[in-house]
Amino acid sequence: MSMIDAPREIIMGMPRARAVSLTRWAIILAAAAALEIYGRFFADPAFIRPVSAIVGAWFNPVMSDERIFWALSMAVFEIAVAYALSIVFGAAIGISIGVSNFARASFLPIVLLLYAIPQVTLMPLFILIFGLGAAGKIAFGFTHGIFPIIVNVVAGMRDINPLHRSAIASMGGARADLLRHVIAPNMAPAFFTGLRLSMTLTMLGVILAELYVSTGGIGYFTRLYAENFNPAPLFALIGTLALIAVLFNSLVRVAERRLTPGARAPAKLGLSGAKSK
Amino acid sequence: MSEAATAIGAGATAAGLAPAISIRGVTQRFGAVGAAQGVLALDDISLDIAPGEFVCLLGPSGCGKSTLLNIIGGLFKPTSGEVTVAGKRVDGAPRPDEIAFVFQESTLFPWYTIIENFRIALKFQGVPKSERDDLAMDALKAVGMGGFARHYPTQLSVGMRQRVNMARGICVRTNILLMDEPFAALDEQSRMVLGEDLSTLLAKTGKTIVFVTHSLAEAVFLSDRIVVMTARPGRVKTIVNVNERHPRAPDFMLEPRFGEMRNELFALLRDEIRRAMALQRDADGGGA
Ligand SMILES: Nc1ncnc2c1ncn2[C@@H]1O[C@H](COP(=O)(O)OP(=O)(O)OP(=O)(O)O)[C@@H](O)[C@H]1O
Ligand SMILES: [Mg+2]
Repeated sequence: MSMIDAPREIIMGMPRARAVSLTRWAIILAAAAALEIYGRFFADPAFIRPVSAIVGAWFNPVMSDERIFWALSMAVFEIAVAYALSIVFGAAIGISIGVSNFARASFLPIVLLLYAIPQVTLMPLFILIFGLGAAGKIAFGFTHGIFPIIVNVVAGMRDINPLHRSAIASMGGARADLLRHVIAPNMAPAFFTGLRLSMTLTMLGVILAELYVSTGGIGYFTRLYAENFNPAPLFALIGTLALIAVLFNSLVRVAERRLTPGARAPAKLGLSGAKSK
Repeated sequence: MSEAATAIGAGATAAGLAPAISIRGVTQRFGAVGAAQGVLALDDISLDIAPGEFVCLLGPSGCGKSTLLNIIGGLFKPTSGEVTVAGKRVDGAPRPDEIAFVFQESTLFPWYTIIENFRIALKFQGVPKSERDDLAMDALKAVGMGGFARHYPTQLSVGMRQRVNMARGICVRTNILLMDEPFAALDEQSRMVLGEDLSTLLAKTGKTIVFVTHSLAEAVFLSDRIVVMTARPGRVKTIVNVNERHPRAPDFMLEPRFGEMRNELFALLRDEIRRAMALQRDADGGGA
């Protein structure tokens, strides 16, 4: 193991991993305490409320009001569908563009151009086409989420060591073997980067659409609370959305750690030494 | 003694044995004839290599050694001429049953452990699953890397990686091994030690080897025959015979004829290297 990989094992009299997670929690608690004090004694209750009030608002009305719960579930559903569509179509399009230099040279600039457009400007168009229901929100999440996947898949397919190609050919591997043993594993890190970026953007797209079309989804409730100067349930709602985002992100990270082959997967590094067996 | 060595080496073809590799009039041109970027890399190369023979390709940089090796291995088709391996024409298609490659750089896949890398190579060879690990471990132990089977290539030093890479080439059951500067990335001492290991290993397996190197000492130490090539376009300039039995001991390097052969090779190469450099200068001048 190198110097960078093997830092001190004991910090503040406890194992490293525990010290790290303890520090993390301490930061979160300190921030919460600061907000509590500020919210309770200094802030205007029309704009900022203490953490305790927000937690209270989370139980009631956010979690207890059926309509809010329904709105949140709807948002999660829309994000999940938009994300799944982004992955499937993004990977398929990315691979088709990435397979040949010709396809890449012809299509990638167009993809990058589309990726660069700030899509919020197109939102009215989406609503015109897909209506006010879930379809429009899914479509908007999808058009946000698909691009990072396409771009990263293409990038991941691009830098293949020509020697690896020759190695597969000289060992008698077929085209499928090249895909399985070289192209796919070579692409994995870039693909997961794409997945993570795509998760964030899909969520952004869906939530933007939710806020814009405020007929009954979470957009309606955020507007309701904001306009009534009732920040506690508003923050509780936003906090819940943030929690959902964190959850989705951890899912991607777990998948990344389990599925990225080779020494590049950080979780595997410590296990692969000679001592392990 | 030297008679016996000749019998396995250069003399074998003369004695009527079918050559393991037969190269006939191979010419390779990159780019169109007369095009500014066009290069005549190989010009009418003919060469027979006997079974079990160790042949070195020696020549100035850019003379087409790697190109010739790739053509023999079927990685691509020459512009004209043909290569026959074990009686069958190589027509730009790899022959993994007959030929294994060891490239200039390690071609181990960084996303697999060392042992997994071996398993893939052996799988492509049609070696049954139950035998793969044993074969791989034997090969790794033979190059002193038995303890690193579960490491990833990036966790090894460059030299260790290349040693493993070489072991992989040797462990697959092909009769022919093509090696393109396998030791180029190593320091001189490691090269010597690894060269010695290679000589020992190969004497056991009886493989036919075509080996590209820039090291004169390596060429003399390892080869039965050394093919000296001219500057671009690559042609066969001379063939030098080394009459010495395998496996070779380091003592061979101390013999006077070792030094003599090295000097002879250097004299042959010097003119070609000068010509190669002049060619490069002209090309640079023409391009500007
Ligand atoms: N794919 C290619 N396209 C165009 N030209 C090529 C290609 N491969 C090789 N060449 C040219 O063919 C010539 C021979 O190249 P090659 O790699 O065989 O040389 P080499 O003898 O192996 O050199 P070195 O000792 O430096 O490895 C060079 O002039 C090179 O520029
Ligand atoms: Mg070369």
